[in-house]
Amino acid sequence: MINFAQTFIDALSLGSLYALAALGIGLLFGILRLINFAYGDLITLGAYALIIPSTEAVATLFIGGWPWFMVIIAVAVIVVAAALLSDLLVFRHIRRADPATLMIASFAVSFVIQNVILMFYGSRPKSVDLWSNLNYQIAVSGLRIPLLQIVTILATLVLMGGLTLLLKRTALGIQMRAAAEDFRMARYLGVRGNLVIGLAFAISGVLAAVASLLLLSQTGTLSQTMGVPLMLFAFIATVVGGMGSLIGAATGGFAVAFASVFLQAYLPDDLRPFRDSFVFGIVILMLLFRPAGLVPTKALVERV
Amino acid sequence: MLEVEDLAVSYGGTTALAGVAISVKEREAVCVVGPNGAGKSTLLAAIAGGVPPKRGRIRFDGKDLVGMRAENIARLGISLVPEGRHVFGTLTVEENLFIGTYAMSDQRHAQRDAEQLLGYFPRLKERWRQPAGRLSGGEQQMLVIARALMTRPRLVMVDEPSLGLAPKIVDTVYSTLLALRAERGLTLLVNEQSSDRMLKFSERIYVLRNGRILLHGNTADLQDGEAITRAYFGFDEHHTPATSEAAA
Repeated sequence: MINFAQTFIDALSLGSLYALAALGIGLLFGILRLINFAYGDLITLGAYALIIPSTEAVATLFIGGWPWFMVIIAVAVIVVAAALLSDLLVFRHIRRADPATLMIASFAVSFVIQNVILMFYGSRPKSVDLWSNLNYQIAVSGLRIPLLQIVTILATLVLMGGLTLLLKRTALGIQMRAAAEDFRMARYLGVRGNLVIGLAFAISGVLAAVASLLLLSQTGTLSQTMGVPLMLFAFIATVVGGMGSLIGAATGGFAVAFASVFLQAYLPDDLRPFRDSFVFGIVILMLLFRPAGLVPTKALVERV
Repeated sequence: MLEVEDLAVSYGGTTALAGVAISVKEREAVCVVGPNGAGKSTLLAAIAGGVPPKRGRIRFDGKDLVGMRAENIARLGISLVPEGRHVFGTLTVEENLFIGTYAMSDQRHAQRDAEQLLGYFPRLKERWRQPAGRLSGGEQQMLVIARALMTRPRLVMVDEPSLGLAPKIVDTVYSTLLALRAERGLTLLVNEQSSDRMLKFSERIYVLRNGRILLHGNTADLQDGEAITRAYFGFDEHHTPATSEAAA
């Protein structure tokens, strides 16, 4: 029982991270039909922003040494700026392109960001000690829960709550939902296209910034591809949840994390190295039965 | 008020409009009739900024609209109700209605305008907090017309409001449009496939076919319908009548 509860909390914490990243991807896809593979590199960028640029093996903290709320704000500003810049320099010029073209452009942006990081920081992975006191474990009736897991879950709840409020209760949020459903009709009614797209990039940037801080405090290691696996799982999460649905993206994030963590815990020892194959096998099976994902969206069905 | 000259639009290699000219005066009700695929929807979309013209001029109050963004054209006071209704299905009726006023940060009259429009469309009030996707086709048509009027446009363009609706509901839609026009001094530009209804509804008619205006006149002069039928079915053209196309 203790074992199960421990695994459950592990899954909840990993699912939070996936859900955060999946929401960022899902938001952009909903409005722009852009599957942004550069999203993982924004997460990487957020983590690298914490240290002083140098090619030396030892990392020297820069922003990372500031008080925690300053760190969050500074990293958010940097990642949001990078996200908006990617729109301004690349995606804005191919607004009318089809989704496949957009996706390939995002691969290009991804390579550029990775190589810029390579140029300024070198290719060696660096270890960084961010918020190591979060590794403190709280003992609750036989369970040992790292503080970081609680912080991850809480941060995700706060961001999801905030996002929900923004989308449901504010004039700007309602315009975003309208634009996600039918972009052209929204513009016929006066909704400013570049405003809602900019806002979508900005929000996805904030989500990426928080994801990068949580990821780095977990792993403690910087590498120029550190965001890629998270992006990949988050992308799978949006597909599982149903492309174009934000509730689906969050649900998908948790679903993928639960499958992954529980397989890790309960698969026979010999099969554990192949855990991801099992996860993806389940994903394929699920998509065979529900090709539109867990939360299908009508908007997408109409457009395809 | 609206002047379109020599307008040409093509999608890829296909020509949708080839040198179309129309004009609409303040407070007029003008109608564009033509068979399916004639280019009617493209004409309205081009005016609203939804598709870029290949050449030609579109002027509204003397201002050139070509190259302007759709959202800025909406701000000038042009509202398009596109074909196929396009409600935001996951948004509530209320949210749908207020999108335009949110976008143009024009909340001053929004509440009162909504009340007034709901007088015309009482069904919408009953469905106020429901997702618009659950409304019937007729209710959705009412919603998109009310939604288009919320931003107080001067020119309202409606693309085939009768498509897929029962004749009785179509009558309601048109009588409401006429009542709103009288009350607010609206200018209307409406697309339809059938010309019969338009002979009662509009003051002037353009017949559009294969991307060209084939006939234009005052509705009063076209009441026998003969000339419209000829233009509509292509009997005036130089080549042999395209009967198969007309049947479609």
